[in-house]
Amino acid sequence: MSVLSRVMTWARVKSPWIIHFNTGACNACDIEIVAALTPRFDLERFGILLKGTPRHADVMVCSGSVSRQIEDRLRRIYEQMPEPKFVVAVGACACSGGVFQGCYNVRSGIDKVIPVSAYVPGCPPRPEAIIDGVVKLLGTLQAPPKPPIRTVGIAPQP
Amino acid sequence: MGVLVALYAILIFPGLAFLSTFGLVAEYVDRKLYARFQNRMGPPWFQPFADFVKLLGKETIIPAEANATVFKVLPAVAMAAVVTAMFYIPVWDNRSLLGFEGDLIVVIYLLTIPTLTFFLAGWASTSLYAAMGAVRSLTQLFAYEVPLYMALLAPALLARTWSLQTMARWYTEHPAWMLANLLGFLVAIVALQGKLEKVPFDIPEAETEIVGGTFTEYSGRLLAVFRMAIDMEMVVGAALLAAVFLPFGLGLHPVLVFVLFLAKVLFLVALAALLRALFARLRIEQMVDFCWRILMPAALLQLLLTVVLSGVAP
Ligand code: SF4
Repeated sequence: MSVLSRVMTWARVKSPWIIHFNTGACNACDIEIVAALTPRFDLERFGILLKGTPRHADVMVCSGSVSRQIEDRLRRIYEQMPEPKFVVAVGACACSGGVFQGCYNVRSGIDKVIPVSAYVPGCPPRPEAIIDGVVKLLGTLQAPPKPPIRTVGIAPQP
Repeated sequence: MGVLVALYAILIFPGLAFLSTFGLVAEYVDRKLYARFQNRMGPPWFQPFADFVKLLGKETIIPAEANATVFKVLPAVAMAAVVTAMFYIPVWDNRSLLGFEGDLIVVIYLLTIPTLTFFLAGWASTSLYAAMGAVRSLTQLFAYEVPLYMALLAPALLARTWSLQTMARWYTEHPAWMLANLLGFLVAIVALQGKLEKVPFDIPEAETEIVGGTFTEYSGRLLAVFRMAIDMEMVVGAALLAAVFLPFGLGLHPVLVFVLFLAKVLFLVALAALLRALFARLRIEQMVDFCWRILMPAALLQLLLTVVLSGVAP
């Protein structure tokens, strides 16, 4: 790695701005995500800031099992984020569909729609677990390029 | 002034390099203090720099419907205006680089340009949220601008000059008269929050209502330049207030005066962080109401006081 790209990677690891998106969660995961953003957990230590617009964000933190209604919106918001971008799936629903797995109205997991870089299981996961997931994701950026934790490709367009 | 000296002034000191470094430091102080007021650790010291570098390395998206030229030029215009304003503010003694009779008004106008670029940026993005933020930033401009200018007028009236350096010299000779402007100082600090679009007046960027406000569509390099321009504006705005309302210790050794300058600016930044931690965001009509009903009469009172006092001032 050249010096410039090393500085760039360092900056990326140190300054992940996140956007929070609910794809049909029962809201418990969202409450935990919001709790993780409160001063008590102090995410700014890692340079994490919550941003309102996908244009400013690097990491999309998703919860919920992707209902069919929100699938297009999820894809559109993902495409609105500038490269390089990452997705963290928070909660059992976001990882695999959780209790809604196999329901007629859900796609059962974020990774059926967009590529996911880190999974945080739990129903809902504690704020500590969410922070751990995001920080581990950043750790993989620092390491020499190797396959991410687990990635499933973009689902075929309907 | 030779070409080399001019280039040095524009690019290094007190121009781009100095202002951007100091802007990042000021942003760090602001965020760290804000975090400490909330009883948390806060960001590490390199955080603003890391944010800036990261944004430089990101993809820059320009909306297909936006006017690409305007969209790309605006951040640079905002930054240029702020850097130009810095040349008229005394930094290392009671002289500024390009000072002339009337430069106070020029600085005031130059510091209005960033707000106008925010408006144009929101407008040029052709996004609903950005347009809403743009309109809000203009509405806000009409509310805080008048009290701010009236407050800045008072010390100038007292010193009977429109030039920042003559003012600095006058106050160096008569330091006690600085105290006559205390009320104006308070008004100016509050109005400056509006100019910098910080809490409680961050209505144009209200994330919870209109996603990112004027900057909704900005990303990557353009956003980095805009953020840098805002950091610089914070420094220059604080430096202007320091020059006008806190003109003490200007007769010392240049190095000491420079250190004092840094301290004054950081003090004002810390005050801003305190305000940010104490208050929540107002609604736009509450903000306009507050500016015209409370700030404006306070500024008028200060002017009245100044007019009376200037009868006895030396
Ligand atoms: S994982 Fe559990 S808590 Fe989270 S959205 Fe699904 S059902 Fe709710």
